[in-house]
Amino acid sequence: MTEILRYSDLRKSVHGRLLFDIEVLAIHDRTCVALSGKNGAGKSTLLRIIAGLEAPDSATVSYAGQDLSWRRAARKMRGNAIYLHQNPYLFDCSVTDNIAYGLRRRGMPLREISVKVSEALEWAGIGHLQMRNARELSGGERQRVAFARARILSPRILLLDEPTSSMDSESRAQAFRMIKLLKDEGVSIIVATHEYHTLAHLCDDHLLLQAGGLQSQPPGPQGSERKIIPYS
Amino acid sequence: MKRFIANLLYLTALLLTVPALAGEPALVRMATTTSTDNSGLFDVIQPVFEKELDIRVHVIAVGTGRALELGRRGDVDVVLVHAKAAEEAFVQAGYGLQRHEIMYNDFVIVGPPADPAGVRGMSDAGKAFGKIAGASAIFVSRGDDSGTHKKEKAIWQQADIRPEGDWYRQVGQGMGKTLQIAGELNGYTLVDRGTWLAYRAKSPLQLVVSGGGELRNPYGIIAVNPERFPDVNHAAVQRLIDWFKSDGAHALISGYTVDGEQLFYPVTQ
Amino acid sequence: MDSLSAATAESFRLLFSGDADLWIIIFTSFSVSVKAILFAVPLAFVVAFLMAHLRYPGRRAMIAGFSAMQSIPAVVVGLTVYLVFSRSGPLGDLKLLFTQTSMVIGQALLALPMLVALSHAAFQAADRRVWETSVTLGARPVRAFMTLIHEIRFGLIAAFIAGFGRIIAEVGCSMMVGGNILGYTRNIPTAIALETTKGEFAQAIALGMVLLMLALMLNGMLAFFQGRGVMSS
Repeated sequence: MTEILRYSDLRKSVHGRLLFDIEVLAIHDRTCVALSGKNGAGKSTLLRIIAGLEAPDSATVSYAGQDLSWRRAARKMRGNAIYLHQNPYLFDCSVTDNIAYGLRRRGMPLREISVKVSEALEWAGIGHLQMRNARELSGGERQRVAFARARILSPRILLLDEPTSSMDSESRAQAFRMIKLLKDEGVSIIVATHEYHTLAHLCDDHLLLQAGGLQSQPPGPQGSERKIIPYS
Repeated sequence: MKRFIANLLYLTALLLTVPALAGEPALVRMATTTSTDNSGLFDVIQPVFEKELDIRVHVIAVGTGRALELGRRGDVDVVLVHAKAAEEAFVQAGYGLQRHEIMYNDFVIVGPPADPAGVRGMSDAGKAFGKIAGASAIFVSRGDDSGTHKKEKAIWQQADIRPEGDWYRQVGQGMGKTLQIAGELNGYTLVDRGTWLAYRAKSPLQLVVSGGGELRNPYGIIAVNPERFPDVNHAAVQRLIDWFKSDGAHALISGYTVDGEQLFYPVTQ
Repeated sequence: MDSLSAATAESFRLLFSGDADLWIIIFTSFSVSVKAILFAVPLAFVVAFLMAHLRYPGRRAMIAGFSAMQSIPAVVVGLTVYLVFSRSGPLGDLKLLFTQTSMVIGQALLALPMLVALSHAAFQAADRRVWETSVTLGARPVRAFMTLIHEIRFGLIAAFIAGFGRIIAEVGCSMMVGGNILGYTRNIPTAIALETTKGEFAQAIALGMVLLMLALMLNGMLAFFQGRGVMSS
């Protein structure tokens, strides 16, 4: 297990008020970390900062052993640390075009894209939907498209913002399955949630964002093998 | 990306349509009055002088006041209007080189068939205006400082009458519109013969007064002063002015008829 | 109403006889207005997007400003452009007055406030997640912008159509800066104005019918796209 990314002194204020000030946050590959906290604690904000979608007030970033300013790191993060909204937005086009979106932006040749998209469709089990307009799909189907669309870019980090909040148990189980698959493929996953107990079996670690600070929590009730990673 | 290129190409094409007229006939812009343009004379003479002189003329037809303003601002190369006093002032002030009187037509007074002011058959415009004012018969004025309007004001002034009252309507419109309105209101109005001839079939009004000296309407053509606006196409303008004085032009002008009647009389030097 | 029906019959004849003068006028109208709208649209989209997504001082004033500018009468825009491009004016050396180019510029300026106001509404109503999804999937800002435009395309098409409708029928600006020159800067609305003053109603009606059909078509398309826009959001 290797460290991908490390943030030090990560500060963020919103409307003049300090939201959080995190001494250290290290992200390792092949792990799944649950991030919990009350509404408004800043979970989404933290995920978006990691994804490079929002800027912190200040932070020191160490990426692949190199110290970088946040701005440089953010540029590297786009496409590498992919953020999924609570209800992911699918573009108004076919499922195939949605999944191919990131690869097309990278300028990959069409034949290659086509191969990868087929593989992604199979992975998510949505081959039968490839020509359908993404807007017409059910909630569960959309979730699969969103995951496939992110996964196809081989991201190192996936940031899931409360992925199962408004889901029925079947969709939830499906989501967990995909998260497990992704984790086994080596992706680092951070899941913001306020239903930790439902995910505990998946997660190697549990961080609590509270009162502007990040604390690691004792293992959840499912108490699976927990790797001890020092956070402070 | 495709969109950006399309836009770029489009912009280039747009810029290329800006005058790039090397090798094309010289362009002359002329401001004239709406009544002159509407008389149809230019439909006959324009193709001829454009061909003979190898020039292209863009005719911008507006009111007299605006035509002279265009000349003052250098937006046209030559003006052709029929408002002698204003033209002379234009030249005096240095905006134009010289006034050349090239032709004249005349004004007539038209009115309702019932002729409430009893002016039918008169030729003295001033006296006719006096009777119209006396009878408080509806009179429709151009009210737009055009050549026609200036002529009308001059006649009132000569007759020493100030037209005021509900019967005197100033519409601020072109000649055709004014005639329409006069027709609708059953009123009198002053109109140049050219517009009248083109219109009389459609109008309920009738010609009631004509022939008097003050009703004469001389046309002057003036080249815009090239010292003020050096890029005015002065050589071409000069040739155009000379053309108007030529025998060929005179023949065309006197030969031009509307509804069977001659409209313009060239001024032969 | 005898003359009205006679004029209308005559106007049909004119339209279908392929009268060259008439069709040059129609072509000029489209040529000028299409160029103007194509010119104004990309600019309007970018401005509207920035207004919707950036926070900067005076932003609210700018939004209100564009909205208010929609009410500027065409003839006032025409007068302003005329004064600028007149030989005596600041940009007189460009010799653009009384050309189709100045008409294009005038009409583009005329359409701009409406295009900005309407597309701003579309951008404002856009799902915030669109931009973020594009960016997180690796799209650069220009690409993400294109994606956003695609996602809200119905609202933007509606803006386009509304803007075009405004300028294809306006006479105040075209007359001022074009000069209504036969065969060159005479478009449908200025020709109608002229033919009406000359009492040539048949011509005016013929042109008016072209404009009317166009207006009906545009409004039909507008209704269609606005409906689609609502449904897909």
